[in-house]
Amino acid sequence: MRALTPTLLEAQKQPSAQPYVRVTVSDRIVALTRLRWERLYTGGETDRYHAAAMPGDGSLLRARVEPSTSTIAYQRVANPGAGSAFGSWSTLDSVANAGLALAASGANALLAFVPLNGVQVRIRESSDYGASFGTVQIVAGAGAFIGSVAAVLKPDGTAFLIYAAGSTVFVLKRTGGTWGSAVAWPYSASQITGLACWHSGDYLLAIAGVDGSGAARLWAAVYGDGATQAVDTWSVLRDVAQADAGSNVTFRAPSLAVLDTYRLFFVESYSGSVAYDRPQWTWFAPSQSFAANAWREPVPFDLNTAYGLALTGADALGPAWLSMPSGVWRAPLTTAELDLSDDVLELSSELRRDGGRARVVLRNDHGRYTGLSTGAGAVIRAGAELEFGAGYVTSAGPEAPAAAPRFVIGGWEHRSGDGEATVTLFARDAWSLVERWRARRQFAWAAGTDNLFQILRFVFGRAGIDLINTGSSALASALRPAFTIHPGQDGRRVVAALLSLTADVVLVSALGASYYEPVAGATTYRYGGDHAITRARFASAGRAVNRAQVFGPSVVAESFAWDDIGDQFDRLRQAHDLNVTTVALAQDRAAALLRREELSPELGELVSPVNCGQELYDIVAVTDEGAGLSDASFRVVGIDLRFGRRGRPTYEQRLLLGSV
Amino acid sequence: MTVRRGVLKGFDSATYTATVQVAGSLAVWLSSVPVARNIAQAELVAGRSCAVVFLEDGNPKDAVVAAVWT
Repeated sequence: MRALTPTLLEAQKQPSAQPYVRVTVSDRIVALTRLRWERLYTGGETDRYHAAAMPGDGSLLRARVEPSTSTIAYQRVANPGAGSAFGSWSTLDSVANAGLALAASGANALLAFVPLNGVQVRIRESSDYGASFGTVQIVAGAGAFIGSVAAVLKPDGTAFLIYAAGSTVFVLKRTGGTWGSAVAWPYSASQITGLACWHSGDYLLAIAGVDGSGAARLWAAVYGDGATQAVDTWSVLRDVAQADAGSNVTFRAPSLAVLDTYRLFFVESYSGSVAYDRPQWTWFAPSQSFAANAWREPVPFDLNTAYGLALTGADALGPAWLSMPSGVWRAPLTTAELDLSDDVLELSSELRRDGGRARVVLRNDHGRYTGLSTGAGAVIRAGAELEFGAGYVTSAGPEAPAAAPRFVIGGWEHRSGDGEATVTLFARDAWSLVERWRARRQFAWAAGTDNLFQILRFVFGRAGIDLINTGSSALASALRPAFTIHPGQDGRRVVAALLSLTADVVLVSALGASYYEPVAGATTYRYGGDHAITRARFASAGRAVNRAQVFGPSVVAESFAWDDIGDQFDRLRQAHDLNVTTVALAQDRAAALLRREELSPELGELVSPVNCGQELYDIVAVTDEGAGLSDASFRVVGIDLRFGRRGRPTYEQRLLLGSV
Repeated sequence: MTVRRGVLKGFDSATYTATVQVAGSLAVWLSSVPVARNIAQAELVAGRSCAVVFLEDGNPKDAVVAAVWT
């Protein structure tokens, strides 16, 4: 149950209380700002290797390889914005046709590049926000062509370089003003096609290339700086994208930044028919560690470029900047929030275990929501986030819980007639994002690799939802199944298949989703005492399934609900699963199958004044003399809420109750 | 149980398993899919169409390449 203030808790138990409903709309997706890129510059520069960085004064530094002269073209725009001179470049050093890097921290900036000889990394540094650069230093040499380089500057002056010489990746650090020796990574590849790095606790890396089998890969990795990874050690390489040899798909030119959250751009190239070099962008929630690798399904960016887009920005307040030689884009990292509370005529929501929806009717006699593409109402658009908090006017003023349910607006309709004009918003909760995610390719997990939570986190991540493990079962940790997702399959079907393996559940909430085992526990709230019951219905039924059999390749296990078998004889459910390879797994699967069946039916409903903190899966105690119940425990498996100002005012909730 | 269309991308005669491009997956193949033993090795030519029966839709090991055609 959501935490409530003492005043709100007191108010919701009063026989007469004044409702308060807070409804807002913002341009967010599951609590993360949706980036709306605005192109500020379109030029004629040749598309080639490039980089961008933003020092502490908010100036935008850009560098690119000018192929006609084999030199670095550089620019610093002091106050970047619409109308800035993004087409004005100065010439720096001679440069190879290879990647180059810009990094900045405070007043310092670093430019790293590969000279014409192709086998060195040279740097130039600035201490005046990139306005001028010092002399060239050679910091690394190699026996092979250096095709990619990326750089990070830390506030303490530490510089970090990562570069690819041939197919080998090297890292090189300057600490205490002294450059160390370049160290090769502990992995191998047949080709490296791009590097990116950003410092956020550790050195976070994106590496594009081709592995030893010829498969194109885009990896994420962490080079330790002591936060989550030991200093100067490599994490494993984790796939962000992959393409098998012979598929004609490759990845290159990654760009990574941690501004409001982890955000990554890269280029996916297809050389078949019809060929393309298309930037893709992806992100995931900052509450996850970078190692969680829970990237959203990459989204295509409306551009064709083989050299990608450089992503940068000063901080979480934004804006975020995108750059290529012939283009500059900007996107705010904050979003306007539109408060609709005063215009709400009706509000209803239905939350179920596998999805929720909301409907909000707004008055529009003032015409405020007539043209939703402009003005304050412009934030109302398909995909925007609708948040409502159901509360009361308390002794402390209007109050609603801070962590209110959030929904995704799917559409709206204007209505007029009978002297009334209204707009109705239709929204669904984050389960709808899971449902709408479709696998673009085959995903496969070999047996023994990821456990159920990790696979679920991947699927929810692809839908843009942050899934946290808040207490999954031992079985969910132990099961590391061979599993595949087929192209075209939707996320809901995949999640249903994974959830069916245990009794664990996913609760979608305000900021994401949590995965846990719904164990029998203490009640979180009582109805029928201080909190009145308006009306209720309680049912009893025998079990739909009271005997489970699980068949593995060489093992069979059963679980029984003997009391119910005594009443109804056995009602059997069988499961065949090649992933069940041990007796213990089979027994746990059989027990989980029965437990899941036990939790599934709805046993009744309870209508009452709104409990502002009620959440799905909460255990509540019900006392209802008329039904012969005294502190009977139920699990909340559905929550309906109705609020209306028109006609007879309405403010009530209906709980669907299930087994604990 | 589902049946999916695919394209044979490779075949391992030692394990009698195939690598299959399931229709709709542009760049990633499904590897080590068991092949029906009643299909002759000579017929398992890369590039041919195939039908894969997934006895359990989510488990690539609980599947079989049941037909191959050109």
